[in-house]
Amino acid sequence: MKQEQFDPFSLVAEELSLVANRLRAMVVAEVPKLASAAEYFFKVGVEGKRFRPTVLLLMATALNVHLPEPAAASVGDTLTTDLRTRLQSIAEITEMIHVASLLHDDVLDDADKRRGIGSLNAVMGNKLAVLAGDFLLSRACVSLAALKNTEVVSLLATVVEHLVTGETMQMTTSSEQRCSMEYYMQKTYYKTASLISNSCKAIALLAGQTAEVAMLAFEYGKNLGLAFQLIDDVLDFTGTSASLGKGSLSDIRHGIVTAPILFAMEEFPQLHSVVYQGFDNPENIDIVLEYLGKSHGIQMTRELAMKHANLAAAAIDSLPESNDENVIKSRRALVDLTQRVITRNK
Amino acid sequence: MLFCRGFSRISTTPRKSLLGFILSRPTEPSQSLLSNQYLYSTIKVCGGRKAFSWSLPSLLGIGRQIHHSSSVIEEQFDPFSLVAEELSLVANRLRAMVVAEVPKLASAAEYFFKVGVEGKRFRPTVLLLMATALNVHLPEPAAASVGDTLTTDLRTRLQSIAEITEMIHVASLLHDDVLDDADKRRGIGSLNAVMGNKLAVLAGDFLLSRACVSLAALKNTEVVSLLATVVEHLVTGETMQMTTSSEQRCSMEYYMQKTYYKTASLISNSCKAIALLAGQTAEVAMLAFEYGKNLGLAFQLIDDVLDFTGTSASLGKGSLSDIRHGIVTAPILFAMEEFPQLHSVVYQGFDNPENIDIVLEYLGKSHGIQMTRELAMKHANLAAAAIDSLPESNDENVIKSRRALVDLTQRVITRNK
Repeated sequence: MKQEQFDPFSLVAEELSLVANRLRAMVVAEVPKLASAAEYFFKVGVEGKRFRPTVLLLMATALNVHLPEPAAASVGDTLTTDLRTRLQSIAEITEMIHVASLLHDDVLDDADKRRGIGSLNAVMGNKLAVLAGDFLLSRACVSLAALKNTEVVSLLATVVEHLVTGETMQMTTSSEQRCSMEYYMQKTYYKTASLISNSCKAIALLAGQTAEVAMLAFEYGKNLGLAFQLIDDVLDFTGTSASLGKGSLSDIRHGIVTAPILFAMEEFPQLHSVVYQGFDNPENIDIVLEYLGKSHGIQMTRELAMKHANLAAAAIDSLPESNDENVIKSRRALVDLTQRVITRNK
Repeated sequence: MLFCRGFSRISTTPRKSLLGFILSRPTEPSQSLLSNQYLYSTIKVCGGRKAFSWSLPSLLGIGRQIHHSSSVIEEQFDPFSLVAEELSLVANRLRAMVVAEVPKLASAAEYFFKVGVEGKRFRPTVLLLMATALNVHLPEPAAASVGDTLTTDLRTRLQSIAEITEMIHVASLLHDDVLDDADKRRGIGSLNAVMGNKLAVLAGDFLLSRACVSLAALKNTEVVSLLATVVEHLVTGETMQMTTSSEQRCSMEYYMQKTYYKTASLISNSCKAIALLAGQTAEVAMLAFEYGKNLGLAFQLIDDVLDFTGTSASLGKGSLSDIRHGIVTAPILFAMEEFPQLHSVVYQGFDNPENIDIVLEYLGKSHGIQMTRELAMKHANLAAAAIDSLPESNDENVIKSRRALVDLTQRVITRNK
């Protein structure tokens, strides 16, 4: 009952629509083909789960503790509105950067499906997909610049760099690196957690928060992102069932070694040479799956995910106290999300 | 670092060697505003080459008449030499900047920055010259050392624009290479042939991301905005070219818009960025913008001509790469104005190679080449005029750099390769 009353997504649903509409307007291009390419993943129904913007908008409210007292009500309202608009802008910028990287990743992976529909590269060609990604990135940069906050520009520029580095790490992994948990965690941070950690931090900075609070926001985002990815890795093996082998096995089929296997390798050192060889030989996949089933790899990954989820929740709990009802609700929602991320089964 | 395709984005062969034209004595008669007919008939005759050399425009910028000049003056006044040392500095920093955590990516991104392959460095040259040309109001140093530091810092920031511009340019080349399946770029295997399409996409992304980080480090959001817009324009221009309809193919307006996006926007906006970082007024920034824009347009128009004429003044010796890719450029668009019957041929497109022959025949009969050169000269003069309109300065370096910038406007249109 309590859970139904408390849907973190509903707290920001209205605002999300606003953000979504503004996003759609922002990616309009003058050349028709470019326009349809750029808008492809922002169309109604295809926007994805909007997880990232939800987190950011909740964070915006969760940090809304020291809004300037309005001298006159209207002036204060304008300031508040302006600040809120700026924070929403971070959500829009983050989404544009995210989708841009998806478009390029799909080209790099020869993917044909994304978000339940054909990938852009499959539908309109690699050419247009790469260009559309560049276009979205440039639009994101223009929006960033408009915020006139050079630290925020720097943060999100770093995100762009991390996304590329992470993808490259994945594409150019050596046999040695394939077997390394450290390499995997670093890559995961770059590919998944950096975007949300740095955009959470950007929200805090724009909201005029202290460096300490900004760091807490960063830690929330980072740990949430890592928890999310670890469960993602588990689900690729287990699918919607708790047991092995029902998942899509997409990672291992692409030769990508994730946490469950890395943990299994710690338990069964003989697995090391198999993984080192790689998965061009499909028999190696079967061998690894067999060992994975015998090992505690899945469980240990879930435990690690929970550890990160708890760190994220702890970051929220460490925020400066507030009696504001909205602030309290949003913080509860953010903590709630950390649990949803690790208990989801798809 | 100029990558010779940089200004000729619509072609896929690296044909425009700026270094070549800088080092060689121009053997084509250059245009003067008053003798177009003479020029045209000279080209038509294609007889013995008349060796006109070109002079330095006067400091007051009066007229662009080409006189015989002594080659001694010319050698003294090589605009590229004014910034050669600084260019090396920029080049080294650029190479250092693309070193990344992941070795494979670093070698991919460096691919085009390795010594010997950097291209002609035209764009950074323009930007560094512009930086000096605008250096009119440096803050008076309170103590000599403090002032020196400020000056050094500012200069470093301006050099950074040159680096960022080159990264954006190469990133778009890399992505274009993926797109167009170009197999030869700058005399070496293009990155995608050598290292795979995917790595080229990634390497381009990497350079873009590094450009973003360097831009952010300048802590000037207007400059971020300017150069982000450049990326948008590059993409828009390329997409315009990819998706040209039959109607649009016949349109001079569409062509000029596309040319601005693909070629001139980068240099115009980076010139403007130089001015803004140098603390100049909006008016001066606009003049810098106009210089870059007109220089870029002039360059592309001559590029279009050379694709037909090659190193000879006559038609048909060029690589004809544009038309073979179905790209209609200024000379043909002008020819179409003269011979309306050409319109339907161009409208059909060039899948049928006979159409190429027909168009070339008409082009030869028309004034298309000449009119394109005239338009290029018009833009070159506009560029020179922008420099001449800059606030006066008595500083010797400022004067030299401005002269160099004006000189470049002439070199751009008199080159023959």
